Amino acid sequence: MTGFQAPNVEWLTLSPLLVVFLAAVVGVLVEAFVPRAQRYAVQVGLSLAAMVGTLVASLVVFARLSPTADEAELGRVVAAGAVAADGPAVFTWVLLSVLGLLSVMLFAERKVESGVLTFAGQAAALPGTEAEREASTRGLSHTEVFPLMLFAIGGMMLFPASNDLLTMFVALEVLSLPLYLLCGLARRRRLLSQEAAMKYFLLGAFSSGFFVYGLALVYGYAGSMGFAQIAAAVSADTGSRALLLGGIGLMSVGLLFKVGAAPFHAWTPDVYQGAPTAVTAFMAAATKVAAFGAMLRLFYVAFGGNRDDWLPMVWAVAILTMVVGSVLAISQTDVKRMLAYSSIAHAGFLLTGFLGIRSLDEVAPGGLTGVSAVLFYLTTYGFTTMAAFAVVSIVRDAGGETTHLARWQGLGKESPLVAGVFAFLLLAMAGIPLTSGFTGKWAVFAAATAAGAWPVVVVAVLMSAVAAYFYVRVIVLMFFAEPVGDGPSVAVPSALTTVVIAVGTLVTLVLGIVPGALIELLGNVGVFIR
Amino acid sequence: MLALVALHAIAAASAPVLVRQFGRRAFLLLALAPLTAVIWALRHTGTVLDGGAVTQVVPWISGLGMELAFSLGALQWLMTLVVAGIGVLVMTYCAWYFGDDSPGLAAFTAHFTSFVGAMLGLVLADDLMLIFVFWELTTVFSFLLIGIDPTSRASRLAAIEALVVTTLGGLVMFVGMLLLGLEAGTLRLSAILADPPTGTATTVAVMLILVGALSKSAQVPFQFWLPGAMAAPTPVSAYLHAASMVKAGIYLIALLAPAFAGVPGWHLTLLTLGTLTMLVGGWRALRQNDIKLLLAYGTVSQLGFLTVVLSIGSRTAALAGLAMLLAHALFKATLFLCVGIVDKLSGTRDLQQLSGLGRRMPVLAVAAGLAALSMAGLPPLLGFVGKETVWAALLELADGETAGVAPWAGTLVLVGLVVGSALTAAYTLRWYWGTFAAKRGVADTVLKQPLGTGFAHSPVVLSGLGLLLGFAGAALTAAIAPYDALLPAGAHEEYLALWHGWELPLLLSALTVLGGLALFRWREAVCRLQARTAPPVTAEGLYRYVMRAVDRAAVEVTGLFQRGSVPFYLTVILGVVLLLPGSALVLGLLDGGAERLTVRLWDRPAQAMVAMVMVAAAIFTVRSRRRLRAVVLAGVSGYGCAVLFLLHGAPDIAMTQVLVETVTLVVFVMVLRRLPDYFTDRPLSVTRYWRIALSAGVGTAVAGFLLVAGSDRVGRPISERFAEAAYEFGYGRNVVNVTLVDIRAWDTFGEISVLVVAATGVASLIFLDSRSASIRRVFDIPYPEGVQKQSTSPGRRVWLPGPRTLSPDRRSIIFEVVTRLVFHTIVVFSIYLLLAGHNLPGGGFAAGMVSGLALMVRYLAGGRYELDEAAPIDAGALIGSGLFVAALSGLGPVAFGGAVLQTNDYYLSLPLLGEVHLVSSVGFDIGVYLVVVGLVLDLLRTFGSRLDRQILRAEREAAQARDRSGERVGDRAVAQQAGDQGAIS
Repeated sequence: MTGFQAPNVEWLTLSPLLVVFLAAVVGVLVEAFVPRAQRYAVQVGLSLAAMVGTLVASLVVFARLSPTADEAELGRVVAAGAVAADGPAVFTWVLLSVLGLLSVMLFAERKVESGVLTFAGQAAALPGTEAEREASTRGLSHTEVFPLMLFAIGGMMLFPASNDLLTMFVALEVLSLPLYLLCGLARRRRLLSQEAAMKYFLLGAFSSGFFVYGLALVYGYAGSMGFAQIAAAVSADTGSRALLLGGIGLMSVGLLFKVGAAPFHAWTPDVYQGAPTAVTAFMAAATKVAAFGAMLRLFYVAFGGNRDDWLPMVWAVAILTMVVGSVLAISQTDVKRMLAYSSIAHAGFLLTGFLGIRSLDEVAPGGLTGVSAVLFYLTTYGFTTMAAFAVVSIVRDAGGETTHLARWQGLGKESPLVAGVFAFLLLAMAGIPLTSGFTGKWAVFAAATAAGAWPVVVVAVLMSAVAAYFYVRVIVLMFFAEPVGDGPSVAVPSALTTVVIAVGTLVTLVLGIVPGALIELLGNVGVFIR
Repeated sequence: MLALVALHAIAAASAPVLVRQFGRRAFLLLALAPLTAVIWALRHTGTVLDGGAVTQVVPWISGLGMELAFSLGALQWLMTLVVAGIGVLVMTYCAWYFGDDSPGLAAFTAHFTSFVGAMLGLVLADDLMLIFVFWELTTVFSFLLIGIDPTSRASRLAAIEALVVTTLGGLVMFVGMLLLGLEAGTLRLSAILADPPTGTATTVAVMLILVGALSKSAQVPFQFWLPGAMAAPTPVSAYLHAASMVKAGIYLIALLAPAFAGVPGWHLTLLTLGTLTMLVGGWRALRQNDIKLLLAYGTVSQLGFLTVVLSIGSRTAALAGLAMLLAHALFKATLFLCVGIVDKLSGTRDLQQLSGLGRRMPVLAVAAGLAALSMAGLPPLLGFVGKETVWAALLELADGETAGVAPWAGTLVLVGLVVGSALTAAYTLRWYWGTFAAKRGVADTVLKQPLGTGFAHSPVVLSGLGLLLGFAGAALTAAIAPYDALLPAGAHEEYLALWHGWELPLLLSALTVLGGLALFRWREAVCRLQARTAPPVTAEGLYRYVMRAVDRAAVEVTGLFQRGSVPFYLTVILGVVLLLPGSALVLGLLDGGAERLTVRLWDRPAQAMVAMVMVAAAIFTVRSRRRLRAVVLAGVSGYGCAVLFLLHGAPDIAMTQVLVETVTLVVFVMVLRRLPDYFTDRPLSVTRYWRIALSAGVGTAVAGFLLVAGSDRVGRPISERFAEAAYEFGYGRNVVNVTLVDIRAWDTFGEISVLVVAATGVASLIFLDSRSASIRRVFDIPYPEGVQKQSTSPGRRVWLPGPRTLSPDRRSIIFEVVTRLVFHTIVVFSIYLLLAGHNLPGGGFAAGMVSGLALMVRYLAGGRYELDEAAPIDAGALIGSGLFVAALSGLGPVAFGGAVLQTNDYYLSLPLLGEVHLVSSVGFDIGVYLVVVGLVLDLLRTFGSRLDRQILRAEREAAQARDRSGERVGDRAVAQQAGDQGAIS
């Protein structure tokens, strides 16, 4: 038996991940040892510091990305081959740090609930019982949400950077489990929230199960967990194709579930509606970034060699997802559900960009690859959707958020600014020019067209029109309809939510007008290493 | 040029401030922006007329190859003048049209100015993407301008309708542009036009772009949105729906015609749809009573006309088309502005109520008259000049001089357009008569105020321009010449002029005017005919139908698939799993995978027997309606699995499986006490059988994967080396146990940690407070009054202390005695298992389970107090110390220079017992043991004791409620009795 060789750990490169996980662990300790009265301040401070820290660390790592000596590819494989810190991975780190920072702010909002978090006072208390009332009168809040969120962010950052199947699975679970819990913690409408958490957990557990089964099959095929080795095995085409295809199929079930693609989308509306809006915003923006990042890496790096086998599947899924998301959104009467379907539709658009896979020699230098296009779209979508949900969280009445669309009627009169911002964000989601939604759509469509997937692009465009229809309907409702009864009111949020909305809107605008720098950057770093 | 667009953006941004300051006069200031554009364009006249172009390129998104490229050629020059020039006039007109207190004036001015900017950008842009950007911007702003009246439902619907149609078209165009850019290798329009790509993809791309153009310019079948959009204020109609926005599609056609007129389908589509549009629009215009709507249908008709002419692609046609485009912009804007004035001053637009306006507003009547003459195509106006050349172009077409159009088709188009022009003349007459004529039997319309000079200046200037340009044919010809030069030269040079001599075109012009007069003369008859021949299906109806159908489908599909039921969602997911990876499996097997499979049915027949029992149990499990039955049957499958292990020669695993099955079964039964007896009260439905089938399918697929994976093994399994390693490094003969505590000790440690977390989770879900507080010993219970404390002297001791807390009918003395007798034996046995596990079947986990079963027996025999008597300890403490012991024993070897979790062994000589073989990993096993015992204790406390209390409380409450209602019933019975007695006595 040979001696155990301690793995070489590149601390600096891994520092973004380490900062988050460390802060999360410290957060758990804070829950145990800090007096209840001070926990909020400590947790928020810790989480903000962690996110800023990881942002700085990610930026440093990003700046240090340089071509390795023998190859002209950016980044390197670290942590004994478990993590690939290449351009796309580090970019998602940066993106997730910023989105995470905004999410912490949304989570920390207390003003709209008059001094308590928007999370349940005591989640274990049955809704409607004495225990719940007591928790409410005592002004309890679950400050555990902060470490939970940090764990989720850590998992999300690891997910797209994982360079072998096992790391990927661990990351998947690390990001999923806290989310299941967070979904069930809404302060208002708790049964709906708990139902959402239950559904998400049950279905998520199933899809994780399929993922791990597929993982085992692929391991059986390739004899290795590493993506590079799997890619080599796929190119060599040894072993049973039934194993490989079955494995790919089962793993895509797990991943497509996470991104909310049809036909694995069914949880999305229920969960988005039931979860606390801050969590919904976080999930909608950050989970998509992480899951698409991971999907890109898995399929492009490990299974790039036999893409003819799986591309038809992605074609079908992309088309189905866009149609389901756009068409079903029309009949929605709840803002959060509508945004949920819209996020399904956006998953479809992202999958369209995903189809832009081409060999490196087919892409002109500086040209738009599927990876760059999807990453760009994720950036635009992440900020827009987070700001949109932040707006949803401040339109309230006595019973909490008023998510029913009928109650949004005439919001433009009540609060022109909020309604205007929301209208702008909806236009961005519809892909109207001069918003980031347009440039994002353009990027994914161009990438897909270049790779010959133009039939999907045609469907995507048609579905954009359908989507525009229901977004505009909301705008019309807000501005061109009279308020019914005592219309909705807009709670004045603290600076935290205001910053989130402002940043999201600003990024949406800026990326709509001058997206050049970011696209160029992505063009330069958007290559996976093996 | 970027500066011009930016200027409009700045103007739009400052509009609200200006409106607050100057009220409606802010329009005059804002009109400076388009005025600048006009002056700028005029300054570049020289360059453009010489065939040059003014260009400007600013890099925008280099990664996507997007540039802010602008170019001013002859076509753009003309369009800029139209867009900006009419923009100036409409904006100054607005300064009188609106009141200072008009609602939403600030937003309107901002949107209007933005629109002018977007439109300018659109005609100046030289990049496909940029065109699309401005194209969509015009859509958005026109949406905002149409829907300006927030209270009107019609205005909202119209706005949405216009938006949906034009956005759809715009997006289709976007795909076409992407495709075209891809084919050409550049997005720069001038480059594409200079070197147009060919091929099927190009054809498709051009067709897609045409969809956008047709929808924007309201051509059949998209024509219906334009009349609907007349809900907008009249200046908007005048500008957007006559002069500028609807011309965007025409502009695009004119732009592409030089390069792509030869594309297959180009002529067929555009000539057919254009002609059709002209006829449909003109025909429907004849029926309108609303003078604005009449103009709207007229616009549709004229746009069809322009589409036909500009799509032909010959020099004559291009010349005629651009002249007509200019003429149409001038006269249609005039007419709309007149309608605005009439509407504003008289308060109605119904031509049956308007009467005698011509006398009251002579200036307006003259201006409108000139414009109407131009529209009808009478000399000496620009409309006539343009039409003359149009006929010349169409005659060329009918002669087959244009490539790609057969002479008969050209003739057909000619006939269509002549008829269309007659209709135009007719509805022009109808409009003018309707607006200004004094009608018999209708009282003269009263004006609210006299027409001011300021209000009237725009229509007067516009119609004057139409008249002036009618005499400037030569200048116009020169101005259009550079665009003309892009097209293939025809047989003879055509030019614009009032007088071409006694030729066929003049005859055609006269024919149309006469036809128009006749149609107007017999308008009643025409109206009756129209009423009879109204088509049952209109494009608008179709649009509504489609929108409704989409709405409906969304609702239906939501109801069908999004019903919020987790089983249903899961069914979908499993179905897809079966479909996709399942079919991959089948394909793989068919594709040569089947030969690799090595299947051995069984080692011994008993295995088959057990398997059959398990299958039967599984089938009955899913068929059962009773929960308890399902649990027990599932347990049968589990025990069957244990037997399979045993038959396979793994007594250790079999024992563990049996223990786990037993504990699970008992915990299940405890929980079931609080659940309804049946899963469902209804009989089994068909869906259940579908689900069973699906599950069976998924199970088969999963088994298939297992089979494939197992058969595909190429390496040697690592477990082959376990037996040897277990003895050499773990010093044990029980491979399973050594695997747990040594070879895979890290895994085990992780698993027991998870176990701890799970136990904590379960406990905290049931106990909201701390779980240690709930331990109550028997001696804690106060005796009820009058009960003597039982003596505990020898001879009087009870078998078990706990059962006396139970009601007598729940006690079983035999069970108590047996429990008393076997409990300690079981515990000792478990400790034996714990220590012997290293070499013989057993181990920490199994031992913990056995101890747990012993506790369970105590609980079952004596209730919750008996459990606390048996284990008067907090389960959490047990679990925690278990984890601690395991960790400590894992770290132990480090102190002696070993590695974490390394195993060492000692031979200890004990007197009498001989030599004992001690292995350090036993410490780890003890940790596991404690964790497992703690877990079982936790489960018993939560699902046993705690639920007992809940049940007891519920029973007590139910009894109290029964008592109360019983008393009432009793009272009633007494009262009844009393009543009866009263009756008897």
